[in-house]
This record gives sequence, C-alpha cells and structure tokens, in this order.
Amino acid sequence: MRQKFDPITLEIFWRRLISIVDEADASVARTAFSSLLRDAHDYTCMFTDSQGRELVQGTLCTPGMAGAMAIGVKKIIHSFPYSEYQPGDVIIVNDPWLLAGHLNDVCVLSPVFYKGRIVAFTACVFHHSDIGGRVASDNREVYEEGLFIPPLKLYEAGSLNESVLNMIRWNVRTPEQVIGDIRSQVASNHVCAQKVVEMLSDEGLDDLNDLAEDIICRTETSMRMAIENIPNGQYRYQGLIEGAGSREDIKINLTVDVKDRDILVDFDGTSDQVNWGVNVVYNFTYAYVFMALKSSFDPDIPINEGATRPIQMVAPDGCVVNCSFPAAVAARMQVGHFMTEMVFRALAPAVPDRIIAGSGGTPAQTNIFYGRDREGNPWHTMIIRGGGMGAGKSMDGHHCAIFPANGANTPVEILESDTPLMVVERSLLPDSGGPGKKRGGLGRKMVIHVPDDKLSPLHPVTIAVQAGRFRYPPEGLFEGGHGSKALFIRNGELADPSGLTFADPGDYVEFHSAGGGGYGSPFDRDPEDVVQDVKNGYVSIEKAYEDYGVIITPNSLEVNEAATVAYRQRMRS
Amino acid sequence: MLNKVFRMGCDIGGTFTDFVLVNDETGAFSIYKCLTTPSDPSDAVETGMKALETQSPGFISDLAEVIHGTTLVINAIIERKGARTGLITTKGFRDVLELGREIRYDAYDIFSEYPKALVPRALRTEIDERITSDGRVLRPLNDDEVKHVMRLLLDAGVESVAICLINSYENPEHEARVKKLVEEFAPDLSVSASYEVLPQIREYERTSTTVTNAYVKPITVKYLHKLSSRLQSLGFNGKLFIMLSSGGITTASTAGEFPVRIIESGPTAAVIASQHYGRMFGIKDIFCFDMGGTTAKSCLIQKGEAGLVSTFEVGRVQRFKKGSGLPIQVPVVDLMEIGAGGGSLARVNRMGLLQEGPESAGADPGPACYGLGGKKPTVTDADLTLGYLDPNYFLGGSMPLDLNAARKAIDEEVAKPLNTTLIEAAFGIHDLINETMAAAAKTHIAEKGGNPNSITITAFGGAGPVHAYGLARKIGAPRIIVPPLAGVGSALGFFTAPVAFDLVRSHRVVLDEADFNSIEKLFEDLEKESSAILQQSGAVEGIIFSRSIDMRFVGQGAETNLPITNKAFGEWQRHEIRSLFDQAYERLYGRTYPDTRVELISFRMRASLPQRPFQTPRITTSVGKLRDCIKGTREAYSLIHKKFIPFTVVDRLKLFPGASINGPAIIEERESTIVVGEDANAEIDDYGFVWIKFKAPH
Repeated sequence: MRQKFDPITLEIFWRRLISIVDEADASVARTAFSSLLRDAHDYTCMFTDSQGRELVQGTLCTPGMAGAMAIGVKKIIHSFPYSEYQPGDVIIVNDPWLLAGHLNDVCVLSPVFYKGRIVAFTACVFHHSDIGGRVASDNREVYEEGLFIPPLKLYEAGSLNESVLNMIRWNVRTPEQVIGDIRSQVASNHVCAQKVVEMLSDEGLDDLNDLAEDIICRTETSMRMAIENIPNGQYRYQGLIEGAGSREDIKINLTVDVKDRDILVDFDGTSDQVNWGVNVVYNFTYAYVFMALKSSFDPDIPINEGATRPIQMVAPDGCVVNCSFPAAVAARMQVGHFMTEMVFRALAPAVPDRIIAGSGGTPAQTNIFYGRDREGNPWHTMIIRGGGMGAGKSMDGHHCAIFPANGANTPVEILESDTPLMVVERSLLPDSGGPGKKRGGLGRKMVIHVPDDKLSPLHPVTIAVQAGRFRYPPEGLFEGGHGSKALFIRNGELADPSGLTFADPGDYVEFHSAGGGGYGSPFDRDPEDVVQDVKNGYVSIEKAYEDYGVIITPNSLEVNEAATVAYRQRMRS
Repeated sequence: MLNKVFRMGCDIGGTFTDFVLVNDETGAFSIYKCLTTPSDPSDAVETGMKALETQSPGFISDLAEVIHGTTLVINAIIERKGARTGLITTKGFRDVLELGREIRYDAYDIFSEYPKALVPRALRTEIDERITSDGRVLRPLNDDEVKHVMRLLLDAGVESVAICLINSYENPEHEARVKKLVEEFAPDLSVSASYEVLPQIREYERTSTTVTNAYVKPITVKYLHKLSSRLQSLGFNGKLFIMLSSGGITTASTAGEFPVRIIESGPTAAVIASQHYGRMFGIKDIFCFDMGGTTAKSCLIQKGEAGLVSTFEVGRVQRFKKGSGLPIQVPVVDLMEIGAGGGSLARVNRMGLLQEGPESAGADPGPACYGLGGKKPTVTDADLTLGYLDPNYFLGGSMPLDLNAARKAIDEEVAKPLNTTLIEAAFGIHDLINETMAAAAKTHIAEKGGNPNSITITAFGGAGPVHAYGLARKIGAPRIIVPPLAGVGSALGFFTAPVAFDLVRSHRVVLDEADFNSIEKLFEDLEKESSAILQQSGAVEGIIFSRSIDMRFVGQGAETNLPITNKAFGEWQRHEIRSLFDQAYERLYGRTYPDTRVELISFRMRASLPQRPFQTPRITTSVGKLRDCIKGTREAYSLIHKKFIPFTVVDRLKLFPGASINGPAIIEERESTIVVGEDANAEIDDYGFVWIKFKAPH
C-alpha cells in the first residue's frame, strides 16, 4: 500500500532531501581539483528515486546540466541490466546526446542500496575544462572535440576498473587534474548516498518511492497551476544568433503554445545543424526552454521530474537545436543559452511583468587557456564570465551574472596561483547597460597579461573563446535600448574570437562582456536614478544626456530639472 | 583578586539589556532587565548596575569580571549605520567588492536582489602596486600615491579605511606599508588591513570581511571605550571581556580591533548556555531558541556540541536564502536566524497579506503597549491581547503595559484592513510568527541531519518562553526546557564561555618536502601571539593550545582540517601525518588515494583558558503546595480551541522541585512568561528548570 505523508512530515522530508543534495554539492568545493569546479561552480548534483525519476537537484545548480540530467539519467541507468547493479558500482559517461550536450560534461552515477534494494541513483555532472581534443568552437565533428565516453563501469562492486581510468589519462592534457576531479565526483556521490541511507534509517522508511510520488505530484500540480495563469495562445518568435567570425547566422523559429495547464514548444522552421561546434542536443535545448518557463512562472517550488511534466518540446531531427550524431557540439551554449531569452521574447506581450530583456551573460562567456609553464609542465584552466542581466519591469538588471546558466567567477588570486597568467583588471564597464526606464546591468572588462619575465610560460598560450554578442548586442524590451556588445581585444586591437588564439609572452588580451538590455523608455527613467548611476560611475554624464535625456550639472551632479523636462518632451515628440 | 567574588554578565540587545550577577563563593544569583538605551547603551548598563546594587550592596568593587555581549555590531551592518568607509585596493580591482562571486544564489529566480556593497563605488580607490601570487613585488608601492588617495578619501569625509591588496595573503609587505602611511597621514582614522583581519586567499571574501570590519570599527571602539569608562566611573576595576561569535571571550581592545569577530556576540551566549545545560542533563540534541525583541535565532546542538563554522553571512536580502548576504570569514557558532522578534512590526502588505518584520519597533518607541509613542502593532502587542502577558506584571510590574493601546494598534493596522476581528488579527500575528519560525527551524534542523521529533527546545529571551510552546507544536518537538531566569538566561552563557582566541597562518608546502622543524617554529609563533592576546586578559598560566592543520591533495582547492596533538611537530613522522589525512578523507568521502601527493596549507591555533567552573544552583524553595504558587486564573487564547479559555497563572519564583502543573497554564516571572497549552504539562526540577512535555505526540 502506498504510504501517504501529512503536509508537515512531507515538508520536513523534502527539505532534508534538498539538504542532502546540497551537502553533496558543497563537498565538491572541498574535493575538486580544477578551479572551474571548486571556484566557478560549474557542476550539478542530483539524485533520483529507484526508477530514475529526478527527485531533487542542487540549489546552486547549472540549469542546463540539471534540466538535461533530468532526462538523461533515466536513460543512462538502463544502459545496464537493472537487476545486475551491485553496491559499489560507479558508472561514468559523457555521451553528449545522453547528457548535457558536450564532451566536457562528464557524469558519474551510482546506485544507492538500502536493505538490499536500489532506493536511489545519485548522479553528478562536472564540467571538465580539459577533455582532450581540439578545444575550439570551429570543429566540424564531435570526433575532433575530445574523448567520448559511452556508459562504462568505472567501479564494479567497489573495485576500480583501472583500464577506464588509463584510457582517460592518456587522452587529456592535464591527467592529474582530470582524474582528481573524477575522484571528486565519486566522493560527492558517496556523500549523497551515505546521507540518503542515513535518512531512510532515521525515518524508518524502506525506500523513497512513495515520498517521490508525493513530491513529484505536488510539484507537477504547482507548475500546472502556474501555467494556468498564462493566457491561452500561440506565441511566436523568430530570432537570429550570430555566426562566429564570418559564419552564417543561425535562425531560430519557435512557437510557445499555451493551452490551459500544458505548454508545447515547437521549433519547426529552425536552421539545420551546422558544420561548426554550436549544435545543441535535445536535452540541452529542453533545459533552457524549461528554465524560461520555470523561472517566469513558478520559481519558488524546488525542481524535480514533476515540474517538467507539463512542458513538452518538439524540434525537427537534425536541426540546430536537436542535432544528430556526429555533429560538433563543444560550444553548444552559444546557441542553447539563447533558448531562455527567446521564450521570454515570445511571451513578452502576454506576460510583460514576468520576463526580462536580453542579457550579456547569454551565452555564458567562457575562455579556455592552456599551455606549459617554463618548466614544461602542462596547465589548463577555464573561466566563465557573465554579462549584465536584462532589466525587468520593476528592476534594473543585475551587473555581471551568468544567465540563464549559472556559475561564479574564478577569484583572481586563484587564477594567478593556478596558472602563469596575471590579471591586470577586472572591472565594471561604464555605459554598457542598455538604457531604459529600468537600466540593463553592466558588463565587465577583464584584462589578462601573459608574463614575459622569468615566470613567463612557454610559447604559445592557447586561448579559446566560446562566447557571443560580438555582433548582435542584448536587446531591450518595450522601447528599452540594447546593451553594449562584447569585445575581444589583443594588444589594443580588436581580434577575431572564433577559432583558437595563440598568445605570446608579453601579450595583453582583453575581454569585454556585453551589458544587459533596458526595459521601457529611458525617457521615463526617474532622473534621480540617473543621477545615482552617474555618481556610481555606471552611466557617464554624456550618456545621461544622450540616452536618458537627463541634463546634469557636472560639478554639483544635480539634475537641471527644467531643462531635462523640456528636452525629454522635445525628444518624445 | 581573591576578594573579588562577583562576576557579571551583561547582554545588550536591540530592545532589552539583561544582567546576571553571580557570587562565585555562594553561588547566589541576581538578575535585572531593562530597556536598551540606543542613544548611549551604557546608560542602561548604569541603570542595571545601580538596580543590582540595591540587591547586593557594594558588589561593584568586588566585581572581578564583566562579560559583555552586544548586538550593536550586527545592527549597524543590517541597518547600514556604520562609518563612512573607504577602500584602498590594487589598481584594476576596485569593483571586486561589487562584483562579488557573480553566482546567482537562486538559479531559477530572475528577479533576485543582491546586497549592496558597504563601500560605494566612489569611495573605492586604487593604487598602482602589485604583488604576484608567489609573493614577489612586481610593481613597488608609491608612497605619494597612497597619500594622494588618502587625501581624496578624507575630502570625501571617510571615517574608516579598509586596505585590501591583491595577493597580500602571500606577502603583506605593501598592505603593512599602506597601513603605516595611513596612520601617519591621518592618525585618528580607523584602519583595517586585510592581512590582519583575514590573511587568506580569495580576494572577494577577504575584501568583504575587511571592509565589514572597517565599517563597524569606529562605532565599536567608541562604544567599548564609553562602556569601560562608564564602568570605571561606577567603581569597577576588574576585567572587561567581550563575547566572540566563536563562543570564546576576549578583551575589549581585541574586540575593538576585530569587531567583525563579535557580530554574533549576543546570541552566541545562549548557545553556550544551552551547551552547558545539555551536558548537565545529558541531552543529546538541543534546539536552542532565543527570541528577543528584534530577532529570533536558533542553533542545533548535536551530541552536546554546537557546530563552529568558518564563514557566514550578514544582512541577507532574502532572510532564508544562502548567498544573499555579505560573506564574512571568521569563526562563528553555527547560528541561524529563524524569524522576527517580539518588537517586530506587523502590517498588511500590498498583496493584502499579513506580514511581520523585518522592521522592528526596537526599544524606542517600542511596541504600542509600551505607551512610549509606538502606534504600530508588534508581536508583543498580539501576545498581550491574547492574554499571554499580564499588563500589570511586565518586568515584574515595573513597566505597566497599555492593553488598550495594543488592541487599538492591532485593530487599526491589521484587523480593519483585513476585514477581520481584533482577536483573529491578534491570533494571526502570533500564529504567523510561529509558522515562519517553524518553517525556518525545520529547514535548519533538516540541513543538519536532525529530526525535530527528537529534539529538546531550550527557550531564551523575553519572547522565547512565550512562543516556544507554539513553535514546538508546529515542528513536532516533544519537549521544551525553560532554564531559570530564561528572560535573561543567555547572559548565563557568559559564565561558562572560555577565554579563547583562534589564529591561522597559511604556508603551502608539499608533505614530502615540508620541514617539520620550521612548522614547529610556526606553531610556536602562533602560541606566542595567541598567548599575548590572552595575557591582555591577565591570564598567564594554564593556557590550553589546540593545534590543527589543513591539508589537501596537491591540486585541490580546499582543505580537510585535522586536529593534531600538541607534541612538538618535529616529533611527528611523515607517514603518521599522511595516514591521519587518509583516515579523515576516507571517513568523509568514502575513498582515499594514498599514491597521490598531499600538501599542507594552513596551520591553526586555538588558545584558551580552562572552562570556568560554574555551578547551577539548586533552588532553595522547600517542597510546598501547588496552590500556594497559583496567582489565579486568566483568560487567554487557546491555540487548539481557537478561543479564550481560563489559564492557571503561576508564580515561578514560588515553585518548588517536583511541582507539576497541568496546562493550560501561564508561568510568570519578572523577565519572562511561559505559556503551556492544554495539551502539555510543566514540571519543575531541583534547579528550577521548567520542563514542558506534551501529553501525547502531536
């Protein structure tokens, strides 16, 4: 018989499940090797019930990984006969089509046993900055992009399969770091499994199935009730995503069909997959479509399989957002991250207060740097940079965030102690936020120096830029202006961000991330807010006048009210 | 010192100042509680000490120690009432403080708000200097440039300066020089340098901690100075100690130098007291619940020990969301804010829903019922309206409460806008705050792997014993204990806290290459430094040193802490240290990798004095008859029947060991009121603790 839980008990158990996954999540910072994980938090932990239904995911997750895992883990567990799982089994896999869309995202997964039966699967996906291959976004096929790991047993009943580890070791540039991070994945699953078992035993439960059923159903209902608030209709959007360098733009065509308590998103009419690395697998596209709907309509309820049930998605096979093997996929965020913004644009007329303008952190701006230090030892690191978030109806955009993905910056002091690079500057970019009644968030500038003194690395330092917004800036909404574009500058001159850049000792490379789009007419922005922005150096006096029509006296930093009113009136008419 | 037999604990909260005086020779206590005097908190201290003198004449000259806790620092941060602070940092990095770590603390909320930096952008200045990550000077410091930015900051009216330069954790030379120049240039200016406040890698966390220290330093120094001269003028010539967030106590001068370490000073005392009671009664899992005028804080004590964490947040934008506050990295007892306090304002928000806090009426004007001009209803006004508090026996009758003012405020501000009755509105206020606290408490307990159904709540603070019963019902806790003097009870924690101070040094070296003798030298330096700090408190003998090391696999970014015994480091074998690490790592993460190299990162030292013996006195009331303790009955609101029913009113001071009272009852003492519903009963033990147990599981 199915066990029912009263609301209070359910609440307590649910909280505890979340704290278990968050504890596993926190262990990564303590055990991981690469700064991309321990400092930039580019990983996601989750666990499922015995059937592979996603039950909870880490609070600080990366939505793309989390959403893709909700679909993928269920499939992966059936790569092996269910009845043959043993305690101590650990599976490793990075098949982009099963998971989060590129080879760097490696999943480690384990069955959790209690009283002789499987009660859960704990899984984590880590973004490994190094998975071998050619790291650029201009590869033509996935074969070039690094090591492809189908579902394999890394541990069988607790004993290590050395061959798997050796296979990985000889296919990456920095094996100590990669192996160390895989061990951290095993540790994180261990923490999770241990706590799940502890909870079952504390609470006198035999398994998680009834609890899962209850949690998933309640979450589904909550999501459906939220969807009910959106007026029925078919909301369309067609947009272009810039091709890197001289490549063609990519056309995205989407329809959000809202019908009562269900949503269907259809990508019919979208560009075919392309011969460079920005193709997106279904899972990853779904994750960012889901992100848009979840964050707009039901952000408070923790996520599990129930939240995804009301949202269906279809995309033609072989199109750029549902690519087929062996498409190149390494830089899939350059297209995939746009899904959230494009769903927002489609829904903007229907729910103008629930969405935000375009964001400079869409797509996440990532840079991979690698090379050898002066003693010949290999080093390899990756950083993620955000941009200004788009403004909303009642809120200025947050400065510099990674949206719709998530993650943190790598502290300058960590980057410098891990690599031979020096950071010269990391600062907000004035005037980069799109003007509007609500201003877009500011982008930021990061300047990196390759030393040419006795600590200089060997030539060359390889730099890969996986980013966007170099040609099309984040757009504003409802008369809001667009944010600034992204820039890639080498030794003071604009450079081509596509492909690989080989930097020399003595070089300065500069990355500007884009600002967020504004919301509403800048002529409606409260002049006091504009003055505050000027005082903080977010907006220059010149732009206050040009973009906002606010005339400020330079020395006193006071608004010339009469002149401002008159000027704004003239500009409007 | 021998003739100085008294110690006094004094806790200044947002609303009340609490005093406990103990005579260590006789074990006798006296207590006092009065309103905090925000304009000069030492006014209340004088009031309290004069009042205590009427009970123990002449005690002040026999006072060995005053141990003090204060919410001054945290309130200054939350209310943004600290000093106008400037920052001096390395060229290119003035936005570190504003950019933070850039992570979105709630991945799925696109409208999250973030805390504002304590130093506005215009007051963040840069100097063109640079130290590399291995500590070399890449670009030397220019003294004139420092003077130039100082002039800018002084012109901008800065009262305090934080210095945080890139890579100073590895080489503090430039920071030390800047500090010296600032001191020469502006001798009266308050200065905080990151290499002294938090010498650890990661520039944002270090800057945030240092800036926060700078932000509250002037008011803390001024306040502690004022307090100590006030104490002197009253005839006190003993030692003044301040409670640290970590549960130890330290001197006023150390607290003034590092105010960031006393942020949780007040609430920590309740935790230390609970820990003491846990040991005394052999209770494994305690939920310490301290509800004062402004906030309610909690701490889960598991297996007799409150957790200590090395990082926490203040001023969260979203009270219960991690990552929405300013990070502070100093050792602190694992406290959690779970709700508002008795003085928190209740109002109807724009969505037409009842809302409580975070604004508080504080001590001035205070709740409407204080009759000091407050017109807005608070939780205390609701508690009074519901009959839990006696208007004529608040603070033992020394402060009559105005019931009509309370009713009027609730009626006007809540009942009418919600179109409901006065009583329903009052119940709504009382119940909502319990519900809010229960939700947060459940999260807090679950996060620590605890179970509310097997914990004992210890209730502290003026409002704690009033709300503990409703809270226990909501979270399913079977038992509550209310210590004697619960209304001031957290101040009891001051007497059991050890004099202690924690220090840490970073020195990164691979285990195979480490020179154990130079590590021993490092530990000895830490011992010297920490005992010097302890010696300011007059102690020279019996200092206990606890050492620990932080280790990790080469290439990892964080460490595993290993406590090690005190023997000279040179006597350790390499393989012994290695195996300590492997054992700890395997216990935490399931597997270890003995073939992978490990490195030592930091060395930690806690210096403490032995915990002071403290005997909880048995109550002297002889066994009597319950009816002699009963003051009468009072109509109060039943949370079960949702109507007024008669509650037995009991005088706590007359209660005797073994007395048992059936709910519904209200047990009154001067500083607090205990509510016991009809589904619970209360028993008194030999020490005067009230044990509330539910008659059946709920």
